Amino acid sequence: MSDLLHFQVDAASGVPAYRQLMDQVRYYVASGALAPGDKLPSIRSLAKRMHLNPTTITKAYGELQHLGVVVLEQGKGVFVADRVASLTTEERFDELRRLASGFAAAARQLGATPDEAAQALRVEMERLEPAPD
Amino acid sequence: MDLATIETRGLTKSFGGMRAVDGLDLTIRGGCAYGLIGRNGAGKTTTLRMIMALLRADSGSARVLGANLWKAPASIRERVTYVSQDQNLYAWMTPRELQYYASNLYSRWDARYAEHLARKFSIPLDTPVGALSGGEKRKAAILIALAARPDVIVLDEPAAGLDPVARRELIDALVEVLTDRPESTLLFSSHIISDLERIVDHVGMMDSGRMLLSGEVDDLKTRMRRLQLIFEGDHPPPGFRLPGAIRLEIDGPVVSAIVRAEDESAFAGFEEQYGARLRMFPLGLEEIFIEMASATREGRLQEEGVTS
Repeated sequence: MSDLLHFQVDAASGVPAYRQLMDQVRYYVASGALAPGDKLPSIRSLAKRMHLNPTTITKAYGELQHLGVVVLEQGKGVFVADRVASLTTEERFDELRRLASGFAAAARQLGATPDEAAQALRVEMERLEPAPD
Repeated sequence: MDLATIETRGLTKSFGGMRAVDGLDLTIRGGCAYGLIGRNGAGKTTTLRMIMALLRADSGSARVLGANLWKAPASIRERVTYVSQDQNLYAWMTPRELQYYASNLYSRWDARYAEHLARKFSIPLDTPVGALSGGEKRKAAILIALAARPDVIVLDEPAAGLDPVARRELIDALVEVLTDRPESTLLFSSHIISDLERIVDHVGMMDSGRMLLSGEVDDLKTRMRRLQLIFEGDHPPPGFRLPGAIRLEIDGPVVSAIVRAEDESAFAGFEEQYGARLRMFPLGLEEIFIEMASATREGRLQEEGVTS
């Protein structure tokens, strides 16, 4: 099913391409579009499909494995991990802050208050699949 | 591979008293996709021509696969292919004849791959090269450079003059090379960063014959930031200094800068110490290049201002 997912990278962005790809995989995992055990596209096919240097994909998959989001099975491919390895509270907060920085800047440009921004975030999170407890 | 596949040291060339390339040090490791970026006239083509032993350097050295190509045997030279901006293909030959000709020049010539590329690039095989469009000529030359199955591929402005569809075909062909033969080294020049940015993993930014900045693309994007600090009051506090600033503008209480930030916490101190508001924005390669080139020019102007 992962072949149906849309991955897209903006090479002109200041965010490294491998980071953008990592964020998308994590987004699909968080939203349930990718379930534990799902196979991700091969490095080769994704490089071709996305017109990207294969080293970018290798790097993204490697980092995702390091974070416990995917597992690399030699000769078989890359799979979504059974259970996303838990980050420490601190690591998770750092990661959330990093992800939130762009959102925060955009919210301020819209003239939103922190409460409004938090409310929008709450609505979007509730739209996702219920979190495993 | 630990050895540099392409290496220049102090490479210098002048034309009529003008330094086109000025003491250039360049190191490209095997398996890299290296983009040499700079404006027209920055010295990119002159650099590539010296690397390819098509132009004598005034001083300095250039080595490819460990060899000086002026003296290297054919067995080394055939492992390095080059496509110039104005491909000098025989106008009276057809692409089919060109391929036959090239197949005799390169011992690793891959005829099946050549066929595959000809289809991919939609090159008319039986039309004399002289009657092909600029884009078709470019693609025919790139086909030869790739089907020779070299270890090093040097392309001078490969995307210039190609329409967006042809550029995508070119990128796809290069992605294939990088996927199927990850040990190959790609070096190309470009005055626009454009879609080639998708496949470059290392970049060197040239200006006025010198290297402004070089490194791994992901690393540059991670380290270079646009920073904005807004202080309370009318201006930054006395003695204010910004470590790692490449460009700095102060407008009242607002400090805008381009910084080399190893770590964002280096700047967080300003928030606590002065109650300033800090914002950091990522920079794309093109922005990094423009900022570096401007900073260098401004630096030179200031130097000139001092001496005059």
